[in-house]
Amino acid sequence: MSGNTFTIAQRVILQVVRDRRTIALIIVAPLIIASIAGFSIPDKTSLDAFSPAILATLILFFGFLITGISFLRERTQGTLERLLASPISKMDVVAGYLLGLLGFALLQTLIMFFYMVYVLDINYSGNLWEILVFQALMGINAVCLGTFFSAFARNEFQMIQFIPLIIIPQIFVSGLFIPVDQLPVVLEWVSKFLPLTYGVEGIRAMMLQGQSLLDIGKDIWILVAYAAGLLILASLTLRQKS
Amino acid sequence: MTGPAITVNNLTFNYGNLKVIDGMTLEIANGTSYGLLGPNGAGKTTLIRLMVGLLKPTSGSILCLGKPPTRAIAENIGYMPQLPALYSEISVEQNIDFFARIYGMKDRKARSERVKDIIKVVDLWDKRKTQIINLSGGMKQRVSLACAIVHQPPLIFLDEPTVGLDPELRVHFWEYFTNLTKAGHTLVISSHTFDDAAHCQQLAFLRTGRVVGQGSPAALRAATGDKDASLEDAFLYFIRQDEERKDVR
Repeated sequence: MSGNTFTIAQRVILQVVRDRRTIALIIVAPLIIASIAGFSIPDKTSLDAFSPAILATLILFFGFLITGISFLRERTQGTLERLLASPISKMDVVAGYLLGLLGFALLQTLIMFFYMVYVLDINYSGNLWEILVFQALMGINAVCLGTFFSAFARNEFQMIQFIPLIIIPQIFVSGLFIPVDQLPVVLEWVSKFLPLTYGVEGIRAMMLQGQSLLDIGKDIWILVAYAAGLLILASLTLRQKS
Repeated sequence: MTGPAITVNNLTFNYGNLKVIDGMTLEIANGTSYGLLGPNGAGKTTLIRLMVGLLKPTSGSILCLGKPPTRAIAENIGYMPQLPALYSEISVEQNIDFFARIYGMKDRKARSERVKDIIKVVDLWDKRKTQIINLSGGMKQRVSLACAIVHQPPLIFLDEPTVGLDPELRVHFWEYFTNLTKAGHTLVISSHTFDDAAHCQQLAFLRTGRVVGQGSPAALRAATGDKDASLEDAFLYFIRQDEERKDVR
């Protein structure tokens, strides 16, 4: 990571901060979703059980969406071409985005977390900082996934279509609604290759069973490997398509 | 530096089966303004993108400042793409400062001074705090130019820099380009207008990925054999010559 990574990150943050409507949506959207979840699941025990998985799912969803659109704009407005003609490396560009957007993804997690704990009154175990570290890892996966798939979209409409293709299937097979071991064998196997499966498993172990980051080492290493692989793939897709 | 600023030797570039650049050979001297003139689809933008290292040649070679165009020499190159290519949400000053930083201007004080200077040069001092989204097309072009030259590179590529500018601004741009070449910068400028071409010290006429004629505007006009020939006449003359050569082949 070089100084250029921070230069890119700073610009990404500045861009989002200068766009007040986006900032408002970043804050309001998680509150609305958490409220709907809270009111649609009146049974307190079920809400306690669902909430951790909702946190992991939404950071993946929002992270993927905001990065995918941001990166797509970088490609379509020609600024990516300008960056690629400059002395900075492709890895600087991806890592800069990662650093810049991760903060917003974590802000959304914090908003939802405190809303769920203090307004919806959910019970949780585990340390807040450990939960945030784990969510940061999910956020990194979301940002890398968004960057990678933005290479395959030519406009915002196509990018949005990746949500039902990339995010929604993960929601169904990650164990959010049905435990993974109760899925048909094929889907159980598919779930083993998806980051959200380990995100849901890890955050549930922390928030429901009070396990620490050390206790969920398997989930963390798989998510780290996934993020590293996606980071490399994302930087490889940065050649400008003509 | 001695030697040419750019040497292009037997360059070809294909998009799939389409030959976009077809065996081009060019030499661009240091400290000159070199125009690439041709209609849409002639290969001007592709040639510039090859010269700044955004595309890899299918065959042939390019040397910019004596070296292949890679990241190693990118600090010495300025590139203004056809689109304004700016970040709409942030201000004029923030855009220029960002590009100054990624082009290696690390010293905050020196960078700040340079950013202020270049904003004055492109005549946007009153708009320096304005978000790009609130600027007119001509103003965006000026910011885009400022971003390309803020780091004072010896070699500058400008892809259709005057498209969409009003006549007054076009004159202002050309005055500035002339000052840059006087200061020793090499400018490669693509255009499809003969008005722009007349301002360049050297020209290459491009057509379907090939150079059909090159030289100074005066030499190109003289080649037609008509002392009253315009650059437009010269361009048509070289196209006819090229057609005749193709018929013979």
